[in-house]
Formats: sequence, structure tokens, C-alpha cells
Amino acid sequence: MGCVVEGKQFMGFCKRLWFVLVFGLICWGIQGHRDIILAAPFASGESAASLQLSMAGHELVQTVRLDEDVAKASAENPSEKPEDSEAWPEDELSEESFIPDPLEPMNRAFFAFNDAAYFWFFKPVGEGYSAVMPEVLRVSIRNFFTNLSMPIRLVSSLLQGKIESVGMILVRFVVNSSAGFLGFQDVAKQALDYPVQDEDLGQVFAFYGIGPGFYLNLPFLGAGSLRDTVGWVGGLYLNPLDYIVEDWWANIGARAFDMTNKTSLRIGEYEALKDASLDPYVAMRDAYFQYRLNQIGK
Amino acid sequence: MEKHRIWPYLRSLFGGVLLILMFAGPCFSGVPTDHVKETTDRILVIVSDPALKGPENKNKRDQLVRQAVDERFNWEAMTQRSLSRHWRKRTEAEKKEFVALFGKLLERTYMDKVGNYSGEKVIYVGETIDGRYGTVTAKILTHSQTEVEVRYRLKETNGEWRAYDISIEGVSLVNNYRKQFNSIILRSSYDELVRKLRKKVAEKD
Repeated sequence: MGCVVEGKQFMGFCKRLWFVLVFGLICWGIQGHRDIILAAPFASGESAASLQLSMAGHELVQTVRLDEDVAKASAENPSEKPEDSEAWPEDELSEESFIPDPLEPMNRAFFAFNDAAYFWFFKPVGEGYSAVMPEVLRVSIRNFFTNLSMPIRLVSSLLQGKIESVGMILVRFVVNSSAGFLGFQDVAKQALDYPVQDEDLGQVFAFYGIGPGFYLNLPFLGAGSLRDTVGWVGGLYLNPLDYIVEDWWANIGARAFDMTNKTSLRIGEYEALKDASLDPYVAMRDAYFQYRLNQIGK
Repeated sequence: MEKHRIWPYLRSLFGGVLLILMFAGPCFSGVPTDHVKETTDRILVIVSDPALKGPENKNKRDQLVRQAVDERFNWEAMTQRSLSRHWRKRTEAEKKEFVALFGKLLERTYMDKVGNYSGEKVIYVGETIDGRYGTVTAKILTHSQTEVEVRYRLKETNGEWRAYDISIEGVSLVNNYRKQFNSIILRSSYDELVRKLRKKVAEKD
């Protein structure tokens, strides 16, 4: 039965492939940048000099040095107060908010790839699709797929012990699946003001104190971090679509449909980011990092 | 007949709830919220004015919006915070030039967003004040029924609350530019950053 592959088997194969790919990428990245990842910026000892030399170009290290210089300068003449020493209510001047990016060359290459894929494929397809589908319908379809992927959010909320979210998710699912015609209408949001609880496994990992690892920009998936990519792969097992639609082509079709539909509702967002930024790659990386921090904090 | 005696109570109770909702809900406001709302409403009036619609009125419309935006945003504070550690190394002339350029870029970005306005709802949901600093949180309900949380950070000078940062869904604009500026300066130089910025501003004009 070589040519007849069951959907479940195929998706299972895809997931395994992803695991291998991600693992491989990480190993490769760590191998190539071991000095930066493993070495503390102020390591002392015999190899410290050569180490510092090899890291001289690294952005984080440069920033730390710059701050040291400033601190030294202000310590030498305390009378000369820097003009921006004003206490802003939130100390955002600290650079702890950097996400490590040891795989930057690879990420940048994939960023360029995704950029091209978006402008040459996804955007035209999405635009064509929205030309024939009215927005109301597209929103309903998005609602349907969101309602369907309830288990990911439920499990993630449960694992974080967010009882209130769990309640909301269950009520939302019951109400929207029945009164909302299988989830096409988001009745729970309109009538009860229960918004979608954006929870995923990446946030669960963060809840238990696991950091983002480092930045990963993968083809088709876009911005991500090591932790969130692992969470995303885990989330695939919680998507009921694979268990409902087992036929391979039907499964692929449903996924493609969902993706096109989502893209059609988000056309313009990426363009806006690219348009406003001086280095779109850095802008995207930071936006992703800040967005995730905000989600995790909720 | 029981019903008749209970009804007035119910009605006053219901009316009371409505009254509370009216004052606590949509009319929620403090001084910073009022100031943000004033500017937003002013812009919304301009962009939905039928007399200013159409490409032939674009210049006039842009000018009015720019005026409103300029009054509410503190470009210098935004620039200072975006350049952060690199700010104090600049000469006065350089600072002035950078504020002007960066202000223009931000203004354009903001105006592009406003230009696409087509009746989205804006609700003000929260406000905090800490001395001279404050935040105003608003929610924008888009056409595709997604809620976007926008948070303004404001600073008070002479009774005016002016914004020095905007966060959209937790992504702060100033933080984002700070990463970009820092990265570009460390990789090349400040001059390169100014060159890039100038090019960006020029290509949008």
C-alpha cells in the first residue's frame, strides 16, 4: 500500500522529521558558536585573552563594555551628571532584554527566504483569496479553526494552574460549539466577554522557569525561539485536526486552507513592520521577544 | 399583585446598575486619558471628514493630522530613550538632527496607520499615574474582530501629558528602535545609522 499513506502516519512522520531537524540545527549552531554560548563574558584565566578577542565583535559583549565605560566615567567625575539620568518609571535601559542570537547568519538567511516567500507566494494567494471571500466569512472560518484547537490552550492552561483560564476555555468551547454553530461564531466573546485565552506549550515552559534559549527564525514558521519551537512541535500532537481528518490530502488541504485564511486576515502587518524599521530582522526579533514576554506575563 | 410591589425596586436597581455602568464604563477618564482621547478624536474627525477625503486633499489632511500628532508626542524624549546609551555622546547639533529625522519617521509610520482608518472602535480601558509619569491603555477592535491592546506612556510637563512611547500588544516602539539603533551603531557607526535613517525618511516622502 505504498502510495496510500494515512494522514496520521504522514503527520507523525512530519513531526519526527521536525524533531530531527530542530535537534540538528541546534547541534550545528552550538558547535559553530561554542565560544560565545559557553563562555561567560568576563571569564578569567589563560584562555581569556584569546576568548575575548574572538568575541570582540559580539554585540552583547560590546554593549556590556560600553556600559562599563559609562559607569567608570560617571564614577570618576560624579559632579558631571549625565542628562538622561532622570529616573524613568520603568528601567528599560537595561539590556537584559536581549534575546541571544548565536545563529544569526542562518536566521538572517531564513528571514530573507521567508520575506521572498511571503511577497511572491503567500501574499498574492491571500489577496486572491480575500478577493473572492468576504471578510465576515473569513473571520468565521478563523473562529472555527480557533475553536477546534481548544485542546492546546486547555492543556497549557491546566499545566500552568490557571484555573480561571481553564474555566473560560471550557465555557467558550461549549458555548461556541453549540450556540456558535460549531465555532463559526464567537458567541462567548460577544455575549460573555470571554476572550480567547492565548496559551501554548512555550508559555508553559516559561512558567516553569525555562528561558527562551535563543532566537530561531525557521523557514515558513518565522520568528521563534528554541523553547517556543519545541512547544510548537509538542502542540502538533494536541491538534484535533489530525485525529478528525485522517486522510492525507484532506488533512493537507484543511491545513493549507486554514493557513491561507489566516494570512488573508493579516496582510499588511509584515509590510508595516518592514516599512517602519531600519533593520527589519532586528525589529522582528525584538518584536517577537517582547510579544512573547507580554504573553507569558499575562 | 406581588409583582406590582416588586417592580419599582427592580427598576431602580436596574437603573442604578446602568448608571454605574455609564459612569464607570465608557466615561472612565483621568487627565492623561482625556489628553490621549482628545488627540485621537481630533485625528478621527479629520480622517473621517468627507470634505477632506480623496487623494487631492491628501496634503491638507496630512498636515492637520501631523499637527495633532506633533502636539501629543514628545519626539525628543522618544529619541533620547531610543538612542539611550548613545544619546549622551552626541553633540547638540547631532541630537537636533536625529530628533527631527526620527520624529519624521515615527510620524509617517503613525500616519500610515491612521490613514487606513475605517471605523475601528477605540475603547479606553485603563490608566495609571505615578507622579509625572502615566500610562493610558486603549483597546482597538479591528474589522476582523481582533482586539489590539495599545498602551501609551506619557509624561506630564506644564499640565500637558505627552506620549514618549507606544506599546502595541506589549511590543514597545521605543524598545524596538533601541535594539535596532544599538545593533546598527555597534556593527558600523553612528554616521551609518543617520545615513540609513535619512534614506528611510526620504523613500517614504
